[in-house]
Amino acid sequence: MSIFSRYFFPSMVLCLYLFLYIPIIVLVLFSFNDNEFTYQWSSFSLRWYRELFASTEIWDALKNSLIVATSSVFLSITMGVLLVFYSGNSFFKKSFLLFYGNLAVPEIVLAVGMLSFFAFFSIPLGLTTLIAGHTLIGLGYVVPIVHSRFIELDDRYTEASLDLGATQGQTLMKVVLPLLSPALFAAGLLVFIISLDDFVISFFCAGSSAQTLPIYIFSMIRAGASPVVSALSTVLLGMSSILVLIFSSLQIKKMDILR
Amino acid sequence: MKQTDFKGAITKEVSFFMITPALLWQVLFFYIPLTMIVGASFMYQSGISWQHYSSLLELPYFKIITRSLLFALINAFVCLIFAYPAAYFLARNVKKWKNILLFSLMLPFWTNILVQIYAWFFVLERNGLCNTLLMKLGLISEPLHLMNSSLTILIVMAYCYLPFMILPLYSNLEKLDSRLIESSYDLGANSWQTFFNVTLPLSWSGIKTGFFLVFVPSFGEFVIPALMGGSKYMFAGSLISHYFLTVHDTSQGAAFTCLSGVVLLTIAIVLNWYFSKKAYASRGQ
Repeated sequence: MSIFSRYFFPSMVLCLYLFLYIPIIVLVLFSFNDNEFTYQWSSFSLRWYRELFASTEIWDALKNSLIVATSSVFLSITMGVLLVFYSGNSFFKKSFLLFYGNLAVPEIVLAVGMLSFFAFFSIPLGLTTLIAGHTLIGLGYVVPIVHSRFIELDDRYTEASLDLGATQGQTLMKVVLPLLSPALFAAGLLVFIISLDDFVISFFCAGSSAQTLPIYIFSMIRAGASPVVSALSTVLLGMSSILVLIFSSLQIKKMDILR
Repeated sequence: MKQTDFKGAITKEVSFFMITPALLWQVLFFYIPLTMIVGASFMYQSGISWQHYSSLLELPYFKIITRSLLFALINAFVCLIFAYPAAYFLARNVKKWKNILLFSLMLPFWTNILVQIYAWFFVLERNGLCNTLLMKLGLISEPLHLMNSSLTILIVMAYCYLPFMILPLYSNLEKLDSRLIESSYDLGANSWQTFFNVTLPLSWSGIKTGFFLVFVPSFGEFVIPALMGGSKYMFAGSLISHYFLTVHDTSQGAAFTCLSGVVLLTIAIVLNWYFSKKAYASRGQ
């Protein structure tokens, strides 16, 4: 390795991390700032966190976000697993291919399409329509992930189970699901995070009744940033780092199981 | 024998019922809405016509689509140029701290996009970090106006999409067989020759994945321009949301959505063809 590459690569990585983390660090620091004017430092305080935990609007938004995320994880995992398992040797063997478009189409096109669909059938916008949208995105992740893991499974397990007299349902519950559980957990976590973070679908399909956390943050930033948003962002950052930790430890375990 | 046939019939029926929910969901909320968008774009005063499309054949719309395309392409290139060396180094040279470095790469990727955008306000605002530093250093005497510019939009877009480029490149470069690189050095190639003749050709598939993961969503991006650019710059995503949410002109909006979708698809096919050709050529050598 030449001198150039010896210094070039590490400095590139350093710059990248600085680029990624300087804004986040400044944001976290300023959430402890005791000043109405968001961008001027005065002194350390926790008042925005107190205000954050006292705000009912934020708690409602969080509650909505959690309801939507949990339901879409549950629905997309259940439907995705059933599809992958039962389409295995039927006429619909290739039906998993139908789900590959969900991630390839720009999200805004999907959102606009769903909005016109709900408007056409005069379905009122709210939590239900949000769950419908997020579950669709979730299926786009769950079906390919679960399908690729299911293909990798040794066919002899399912064959042995069926030969020994188990029904298909028993085989699914007692053989396939335990073998797939790491992949299912990872996919579920992914869908959960994506649903919590999703802005575009929520913005179009939520209507005025159901406000999720990202929509709340969006309207707050638009109205002129308040330090409460910084406090909320810091809390959200903490939450995502915990989830990433779970996710990465899970991947290590998943590899151990495969070996 | 008869019993097995019977059982087989039952499981086929059961199978059909079990896969129906997912298929139904997909058809109801994906295929029907997309078809409705295409259909609505041809609806004009309760008849079928090209009216909505012909009214889009004007310079402003052309400009908006070109601007979105340009920003998406530049964004993908910028991400590629910054992500590649970093991904290469992380995948091949780092042994210590690897998990922590990867964890901190993934963290922004899992963070809410609005939090990421909001964080940039602290850097770029009038009294933000950038202006404060420059003033302290004496490089400028008055705060610069950094918000609401196309450069700002590009920086924040690159910030939000960078992880989408790094992760596929990283997993591609990590799998690269180091014996190929060693033998290239052994055969007398210098590091530039090795890079352009061995490493780069073998990483085309990772580059392709990353490029599409950045390019396609940033074409439809409307949150970043809406928050960072004010209303100064119109993008394809902003115009779509304007049609559907502000003026409620569904069929005109649908026509614009279809038009930009077709443009995006065409560019994506051309790019895909180019990347596949590159990848194929590198395998042929």
